[in-house]
Amino acid sequence: MPGRLLVAVFLAGLLLAAGVQNRYDTTVDYFANRDTFVSLPSGKTMKTLSFGYSNLAADLLFIWSIQFYSTTYLTNRFDFLERVYDTITDITPQYKEPYIIGSLIMVYEARDIPMALRLLDKGSRHNPEEWFFDHDAGYYCYKFLKDFAKAEFYYNRAAAKPEAPAFIKRLNAHMVYLRDDHKVAYQMWLEIYNNARDTLEKDVAFNHLYQIKAENDLALLKERIGIFRRQFRRWPATLSELLSSRLLAALPGDFAGNEYIYNPEQGTVSAARVFKWKRP
Amino acid sequence: MKMKIKAIAVNTFKESARNKMFYLLVFFGILFALSSKLISFLTLGDAIKVLKDTGLAAINFFCVLIAIFTGINLVYKEIEKKTVFNILSKPVSRDQFIIGKFLGLALTMLTALAAMAGIFFLFVALSGGGFDLKIILYFFMLFLELLVIVAISLLFSSFTTPILSFIFTVSLYLIGHIMWTFNEFKLILRVPFWKYFTQALYYLLPNLDKFNIKNEVVMNTALNPWTIFFSVLYALAYILALLAVTILIFRKRDFQ
Repeated sequence: MPGRLLVAVFLAGLLLAAGVQNRYDTTVDYFANRDTFVSLPSGKTMKTLSFGYSNLAADLLFIWSIQFYSTTYLTNRFDFLERVYDTITDITPQYKEPYIIGSLIMVYEARDIPMALRLLDKGSRHNPEEWFFDHDAGYYCYKFLKDFAKAEFYYNRAAAKPEAPAFIKRLNAHMVYLRDDHKVAYQMWLEIYNNARDTLEKDVAFNHLYQIKAENDLALLKERIGIFRRQFRRWPATLSELLSSRLLAALPGDFAGNEYIYNPEQGTVSAARVFKWKRP
Repeated sequence: MKMKIKAIAVNTFKESARNKMFYLLVFFGILFALSSKLISFLTLGDAIKVLKDTGLAAINFFCVLIAIFTGINLVYKEIEKKTVFNILSKPVSRDQFIIGKFLGLALTMLTALAAMAGIFFLFVALSGGGFDLKIILYFFMLFLELLVIVAISLLFSSFTTPILSFIFTVSLYLIGHIMWTFNEFKLILRVPFWKYFTQALYYLLPNLDKFNIKNEVVMNTALNPWTIFFSVLYALAYILALLAVTILIFRKRDFQ
């Protein structure tokens, strides 16, 4: 058979195969069944079956998971989410990205915070020197569960890690404030303020201290002004009148050392600077 | 004696280097190692980690293929082509022949590994991974593993056909990487005989996972110097044992 004829047969064969494939594709609806089934062997089995290439197996599974969980038309793609990330992290427990990305998918896509916390706990257990697993867990507790005590627990654990950045302590103190323990929160912020390593940290601590002190003082002042009005059937002319009427032992000032602003016509008291920290 | 072994080793190296399969596998090893860059694009987070993982795995895989394919044919070819008669008719003992063959193969592996490792080392550095000296340690450990594989393939090559040698060597390679599971049989098995049998296998079969420090290199975790020391010692002891058996078998072979 001449060479040219062979080339022609080769090209014709390829064309025919492509044509058949194209025709076949029109008869099949590949995406008709939008449910999918994911079945994975356990991490231990995968480790055994990878025959020394466990890191590569974990990488490929992780890359596949990123693509898979980005496939939004698969309605039940979260059915095995925890299993998938458990397997990846069982194969290489020191591989940090799957914990972070996996928990992000669990929180923002699957909306399953406890699942994300379990994965991040595992990450923290296997990488005890890393602070960001506990930081992320603390953030999810704060942002989505509104569980400030739990968030405080995670931030506290993250702050104890050797490489933990300074802002973790600030987040921790803020969680204590959010769960309404002003006394402890004030002490924590005061410690941060006194040991601040830069202006930013000092300013942030100052603002929080100002806020906590103002909140507590204003509540006390409002209460005493109310008592004064009930006793004397008028608003006090000045805040000092609370001292002379023995309703207050000493007049509190704000954290900057200024007096609180008092309106004798309406009996209202306010701080010069107001920081309204977001309450979720 | 040294000169004879050296002559056989050099000749084995030249023979392996003339093999087109050798170049093909080295080429694909380098190609796959470099294509790890493409895979690293698909990940989120630490791309260098994925680049190292896939690159090292590719080099590991192709080096093992070279070790197996070159090793299984080596002695068999000499016997099949009757060239072994020419060699052994000269004042060269069978022991020297086997040792020379092993050293020649070791040199071949060192050349292949050095080519792939050198290129990959630079590639990692240029990709932003820096000059990671732990990678060199990884390649050293891989070289030890390859020497054990070469010794295994040489053993099988001395008494059986290339196809059977291939099956046996690959099986031992795979088993060698799951030896840690044998230890677990101690806890699972109840019958003492099977318990001792699996324990015996655990100590007899090559534990190739000892040389696998990919995780420590890629994750940049601490490496115990004693682990390295014991792995070197283990490789030397195992290679010596394998060469001894190979020489014993080869001595008893009757060439016709």
